[in-house]
Amino acid sequence: MGTFKIFGSGFLMAGRKARLAIYLWLANFLFSLVLVAPFYFLLQRDLARSLAGEKLFQGQDLLWLGDLVYKYQNVLALFFGWLVVPSLFYLVLQVFLNGGILGRISVGERVNLAAFLSDSAKYFWRFFRVFLISIIGYVLVFVFIGRGLSSLFKIWTESAATQWTTMAASFLRLFVFLLLFSIVKMFFDYVKVSLVIEEGKKAIRATLANFQFLGRRFFRAWGLFLIVGLVFIGLSIGYYLGAKLIPKSGVIPLVILFVWHQVYILAMSWTTVLFFSTECEFFKTHKYSPP
Amino acid sequence: MEKAPNRACLILSLSLLAILFCLPFLEATQITPASGKKNFTRYEIWVELDDAAKMLKGKEDIFWFNHTREEIPDIRLHLYWNGFKNEKSTLLQESREESLLGIQVEDRHWSWIDLKKANLADGPDLLPTLEFINQDEPLHPGDQTVARLVFPQPLLPGEEVHLKLEFEAKIPRGLLRSGFYKDSYFIAQWFPKPGVYEEGKGWNCYEYHLSSEFFADFADFIVHITVPARFVVGASGKQVSAVSDREGKKVTYTFQQGSIHDFAWTAAPDFIKLERDFIADREVSEEEYREVAKKLSLPLEEVRLPDVRMILLIKPEHKSQVERHFKALRAAIKYYGLWYGPYPYETVTMVDPPFRTASGGMEYPTLFTAGTGVLRDKKVLSPESVIVHEFGHGYWYGLAANNEFEEAWLDEGINTYSTGKVLAKAYGPGMFSTSLFGLPLSWFFDFPFYYDREFDRIGAIMIAEIDPITAFSWRFYKRVSYGLNVYFRASTCLHTLERLLGEDQMVRILQTFQMRFRFKHPRTQDFIDVVNEMTARDMSWFFEELFFTTLNFDYGIASLKSSEKKEFFRGMFDADGKKEEITKKDLAGMKKKREKAEGQKIYTTEVKVRRFGEARVRGEAAVKLRVFFEDGSEEVRFWDGQKRWEKFVLEKPAKAVSAEIDPDFIWLIDSNIANNSLKIKPCRRGIFRAAAKVMFWLQCGLSSLRGLS
Repeated sequence: MGTFKIFGSGFLMAGRKARLAIYLWLANFLFSLVLVAPFYFLLQRDLARSLAGEKLFQGQDLLWLGDLVYKYQNVLALFFGWLVVPSLFYLVLQVFLNGGILGRISVGERVNLAAFLSDSAKYFWRFFRVFLISIIGYVLVFVFIGRGLSSLFKIWTESAATQWTTMAASFLRLFVFLLLFSIVKMFFDYVKVSLVIEEGKKAIRATLANFQFLGRRFFRAWGLFLIVGLVFIGLSIGYYLGAKLIPKSGVIPLVILFVWHQVYILAMSWTTVLFFSTECEFFKTHKYSPP
Repeated sequence: MEKAPNRACLILSLSLLAILFCLPFLEATQITPASGKKNFTRYEIWVELDDAAKMLKGKEDIFWFNHTREEIPDIRLHLYWNGFKNEKSTLLQESREESLLGIQVEDRHWSWIDLKKANLADGPDLLPTLEFINQDEPLHPGDQTVARLVFPQPLLPGEEVHLKLEFEAKIPRGLLRSGFYKDSYFIAQWFPKPGVYEEGKGWNCYEYHLSSEFFADFADFIVHITVPARFVVGASGKQVSAVSDREGKKVTYTFQQGSIHDFAWTAAPDFIKLERDFIADREVSEEEYREVAKKLSLPLEEVRLPDVRMILLIKPEHKSQVERHFKALRAAIKYYGLWYGPYPYETVTMVDPPFRTASGGMEYPTLFTAGTGVLRDKKVLSPESVIVHEFGHGYWYGLAANNEFEEAWLDEGINTYSTGKVLAKAYGPGMFSTSLFGLPLSWFFDFPFYYDREFDRIGAIMIAEIDPITAFSWRFYKRVSYGLNVYFRASTCLHTLERLLGEDQMVRILQTFQMRFRFKHPRTQDFIDVVNEMTARDMSWFFEELFFTTLNFDYGIASLKSSEKKEFFRGMFDADGKKEEITKKDLAGMKKKREKAEGQKIYTTEVKVRRFGEARVRGEAAVKLRVFFEDGSEEVRFWDGQKRWEKFVLEKPAKAVSAEIDPDFIWLIDSNIANNSLKIKPCRRGIFRAAAKVMFWLQCGLSSLRGLS
């Protein structure tokens, strides 16, 4: 099956299992709600009875932005510091939810919350081990290869004659890093896919086997991954253009903007499902066929 | 390469023409005081750029006059580039302490300036007497940025000394305002320059500090700059000649300017040099002249502006921004001229700083560096902001030449304030922006529009309690404290002063200060004196509270209550020798009865205002309190603001809605405007909006994290 055909069937699968995206969105929404709650209450305490609070509603204004920065200069550092631990917890939560997504994609049944959570629990430890191994992968790529690449870019920009060179180099470096990231992410996605489809339990063995699997069909797999990446970019552009159309003040526009934000987060969640569903399709198609 | 012979012929022909053209001027380039003043410090410098070795070789004649009643035994010279000579320099030691905001010199890129000869014109060699002076506290022994030469006999009052120096200097590789990158140069603080001799105090000649700019005497300059023929050159003052050597390989440019206190120049082969005129009659209407003359109470002729030759040296990659550069410069010449006095020089040279020469956004007399990027959003006032600011330094530093080592706010603060005024008048608010690798994000996202004063205020309130604005430049707690205090806090205080005194009064103050201290070295007290004189009141308290101390200014409303006036009371009361109890039920009846009789309820509103900060309003100033009521009416009270808090009680037939202190926002320096108002009923829409935005970005961040799982 060709790459586009696999993408097509993965796309249909992601459409059929759209409920998975809702679960992901819900987890994201609730988690963010908890994180933002202290900030909300802090603002409420200090600004709800101030006329400055009303200015917050009228849009951005450097006077009150300055006030916020001044008022919360110590709290902000604490807030960002505090975000680190929940973020790590969120990562682990995602490892947990990935099991549910892949588990439900790999079977043809309808999606329901109980089965989703059951699969999440079933694959959690396997996926957690893959997650730990993937950290090594990311470190290898970004620390060692990344440093080498940065040195190359530095050599290039050191003799730059104008800012154009440094700009081009910076964007190119970012692009190369994103491509590297996509490779590592894709690699460990397939490790997870193989663990689910083949009901494997050994994360290291699956990782090693994946070198063989992807080594033979790397560019087709990567091409598919990048196509889904383009869908993600397309959705982001769609969100951006839509958000531009929404007026910046007023109660109804505020509600519309809030809903639009959530639609975008939901779309991002759906692309996660799309990544996994296309990868499942690819794996099933290529696993036993000759490269 | 094949075009070289033609090019050489062309250069030779042009050079001959140039020599012929310049002959009448060559006579004039003999040391003659361009300022027309006698006994004025004069420099004539011959400098040659060695492009291959990245060196300058120069000869310098200094005519220095003893204006004091003291005998002066020596002369002190700034040798600024020795700040980059080794890590024992004050500059690099301060940099090490600063870490992030300091500068670092890479191996093999040390630079320096050496005095090769130092003679008096009549013969005696002063070089054996040379010693480096380290007096700035804290001491940095080993610094060589201030040198002392001892005269054979002390210089008597009214005597002039003619020093003949020869020097060699290694050009920095783009360090702190000066330097080269590839074959582009920006050359500043490059020649041996005497400090300022102050009667009764001696030499005012500080070392090169990380957080400080400069101070020197006004002088007349003639500078001959020899560079390879392919270079385009710009410099302080007016170019009077360009003479090519016989081979056509080098060209010597001569620049002349009177009554300036520094001289900078730049050279690069790919500069595009454009010249235009600021034609005052075209830029300023009669109506505008009349308005300004009225505002300043000056005759119409005194506010008229002269024409100015504007010279732009811009890099090819920024060519598309030529119009933006000239438009900003025209606005600056116009409004600084109208408000603070006409620009007195014939030329102003605006340099788009050569890439990686670390020379952007810096001022020198009659020349300044702007700074831009290859991509710029028109909604964002960059490079306009830096152009207006650096030109403005021609007034605040260039003309009213304060000591930037000791009182940097006098130029940076006043000029930051002035920049904001000019930008607001010429452009209105600009968009706040940030960029990703040089790509303006304002092309994609809606950032807030703002006036400079709003931006300045953020810096001002952050730094209130660390250093006074008037601290010596290198003695601030950190470099960031220096920057935020002398630029932003000083500017915000001046905006506050303007709001207190009125815009017209503020223009009169600054105009008087500028014109009175042109070609002089004003001090902070001079500024205060002008304020007091112009306002006919003692405003010293304003400076005591906000400039000389580290007091935070924050007045606010602590509480607001509004309830029905309590006229009837429960309990046991003595009436006609008997005890009579008034119960809740009785109260209700009494209230109803009274309402029926009077037809309305009376409410008591109690507002408690507080002075949260240490700084106080004094003099004739007071803090205004305005209370708004449900029936649309409002009440105003004034508080002298001396005690820590005060209670105001108002009785009205309407409930209060909100109370606001300083409702006209006079006190821009107030560090917390959120507590300036209080409403009876909370309103959470704005808070929900802000929290929703934060939540969305958190959601996006968390979604991105998912990629790692």
